[in-house]
Amino acid sequence: MSNTLPTAEGTTYTICVFTENTIGLLNKITILFSRRRINIESLTVSETERKGVSRFTIVIHHKSREEVEKLVRQIRKIIEVLAVFGYLNDEIAYNEIAMFKISTLSGAKPLDVEVINKIYKAWVVYWGLDYVVIEKTGTLEEIFDFFNYIKPYGILEFVRSGRVAVSKSSKSLVDYLPETEWEYYI
Amino acid sequence: MELKEQLGSTTSLHSDSQNHTVATAEPALINGSHAVIQSLIAEGVDTIFGYPGGAIMPVYDALYDYTDQVNHILVRHEQGAGHAAEGYARLSGKVGVCLVTSGPGATNLVTAIADAIIDSTPMVCVIGQVAKHLLGTDAFQETDVMGVTMPITKWNYQVTSADEIPEVMAKAFYIARSGRPGPVLIDITKNAQMELMSKPFSYKRCETLISYRPRVVPKQEQLEKAAELINAAKKPFLLFGHGIQISGAEKVLEAFVEKTGIPCASTLLGLSSVAVDHPLYMGWLGMHGNYGTNVLTNQCDLIIGIGLRFDDRVTGDASRYAKQAKIIHVDIDPSEIDKIVKADAPVIGDARLVLEKLLPMVNEGSFPEWIAEFEKYAKLEDEQITQPELSATTEKIKMAEVIRGLSNKTNGQAVIVADVGQHQMMTARYYQFKRPNSFITSGGLGTMGYALPAAFGAKVGDPSRDVYTIIGDGCFQMTIQELGTIAQSKLPVKIIILNNNFLGMVRQWQQLFHQKRYSFVELENPDFITIARGFGIDGHRCTSREELSDSLDQLIASDKPYLLEVVVEKEENVFPMVPAGACVSDIRLK
Repeated sequence: MSNTLPTAEGTTYTICVFTENTIGLLNKITILFSRRRINIESLTVSETERKGVSRFTIVIHHKSREEVEKLVRQIRKIIEVLAVFGYLNDEIAYNEIAMFKISTLSGAKPLDVEVINKIYKAWVVYWGLDYVVIEKTGTLEEIFDFFNYIKPYGILEFVRSGRVAVSKSSKSLVDYLPETEWEYYI
Repeated sequence: MELKEQLGSTTSLHSDSQNHTVATAEPALINGSHAVIQSLIAEGVDTIFGYPGGAIMPVYDALYDYTDQVNHILVRHEQGAGHAAEGYARLSGKVGVCLVTSGPGATNLVTAIADAIIDSTPMVCVIGQVAKHLLGTDAFQETDVMGVTMPITKWNYQVTSADEIPEVMAKAFYIARSGRPGPVLIDITKNAQMELMSKPFSYKRCETLISYRPRVVPKQEQLEKAAELINAAKKPFLLFGHGIQISGAEKVLEAFVEKTGIPCASTLLGLSSVAVDHPLYMGWLGMHGNYGTNVLTNQCDLIIGIGLRFDDRVTGDASRYAKQAKIIHVDIDPSEIDKIVKADAPVIGDARLVLEKLLPMVNEGSFPEWIAEFEKYAKLEDEQITQPELSATTEKIKMAEVIRGLSNKTNGQAVIVADVGQHQMMTARYYQFKRPNSFITSGGLGTMGYALPAAFGAKVGDPSRDVYTIIGDGCFQMTIQELGTIAQSKLPVKIIILNNNFLGMVRQWQQLFHQKRYSFVELENPDFITIARGFGIDGHRCTSREELSDSLDQLIASDKPYLLEVVVEKEENVFPMVPAGACVSDIRLK
């Protein structure tokens, strides 16, 4: 693990919330975090493969497992929330995507694209006049390994997406939900 | 489904079938406002507490056509509408309904909504809102009510088209009354109120939702574990709270304690569910509860908690609360389990159903030595606190005397609505409740000004019961304008003001914990009787012990609203007391 990893207080928990697709639900869920003064490290929301069902993936760091369990129960209480699960890192398969905008001004160090592709599995997605945009998919450790490698070249902008995760079990979405009559989205 | 049977209720406007469909007489389409009123009528609403305004005017215009089917009561402040709806809901068991306008109307209701969610009161608030195209533009009287009330409502929804109204209203009422009851807010934009529905009005009651399924019937494994613990206990203690009254479990609770011989105690909101003279009723719990019930909590070996949430007023310091005992926690809200105390045997379900199922599973028993322990503490408390209070010879009257006097004269049968503060604690201590569902107060939020409108709402909810409200001089001035509502309605709400010219509870804490630094707690009060007479309400002031009995008689006998102001001892303290953050066994007697 590199030393520029953002320092985490406590354990990382990934909370997956399955909800109906209503306006304002994001607010109702995140207000529970702010009420307990829990900082949200990352949050992604999108519609699942079933029509009308959205999925939130929220990552937090917390020292107390009990408090996280209480939070999960409170989220379950919200009308329009169908199911909530809290996971530790080893209970899920997860990934993030990161984009790096790297300066390529003449005089700066030239990029070794072969190393970038073969060793770090990162890909150049856009060539600008004096910059490139490189994309890397991976876990937090892999992204920050690449970050440390590419930093000497001059990072103009860096952005990480939220975590996307699925549970390590053979259950499907419909097993989690009380109703089985969910149509496919497409 | 209604789980509570109301004693002597008036006939409701429900039709006999559950899936009740209402269609308009003519095939003509109606507008959103009419849809709102017809939805309320289809839900069996007979009373709305409200205050008109610009954004809700179309609904008020529609209401004008339905005055023979639904009664609307004009309050004097929207907060009064909210508390009145709460009092109505508490006493009648039905969902309270309030109707207010946008902007300041809605924000004035916020306190009452926060009070309703923390005390689990079923309430539907219909709020006007500016037209859809003006949302987010800081229009006249526009407020983001959805954002403001998100954390304090069980559910809220903004209606922007008339067609949504029947389904949303049905969903609102279902959510408000089912599972753990709570307030629901429906924000209806003005264009939705005015536009016509695109199809004829038809109403279908909501009985279930995909995303909200409260567990009402308990799981067999949970019941078995609880029964096992109960049958093995040597010093069991049963604690009951508001859940008993909400689910109508008073009779089965009595049968349960009588079969098992287990002593029971109540939280503040559970008071009156078991008659105070029942041989197995040991008292009430909490910061100002009885001596024995608090101390023996830390000596029992099993706590059976039914319909209470182990609030910090009951537990004191949670890290030193009943650590020696196993805990059974019966609650309908799964998020309450393990929230404050760890439950060894949680049972999620409706209190009445749980008790009915547990009753045949538990053994008969009796615990004479254990109960004798309670009696020891009760005797001590009686000698050191109760008797001196009741037979005081101080110059001014003591609060306890007034309340015990009322209790004796009404035989413990009246509905008592208490506001917040010392008088609330005194009321809970000295009124001897003998009839279920007789005590209404703001427990979780402790809202001053709650009692006057709530007493009025309660009287509307069940006109057959006598309603007395006991209010402090500070609390009375918070919602004093509701005297107008009471006078206009002519309902005989009886008001007792215990006037000590102080914010008593704060003064007590300043005396005990802040070296008597009375920072801004002394009140220069107006002449309450003159004010009441100005509103058209009769009353008189009682200043001496000799006049007290006759004053109470006069209050009780009145068939119109009446205000009795009793000038009480200025610096009185409520004991016993568990200081904040202390352990329950460190309860103080003085």
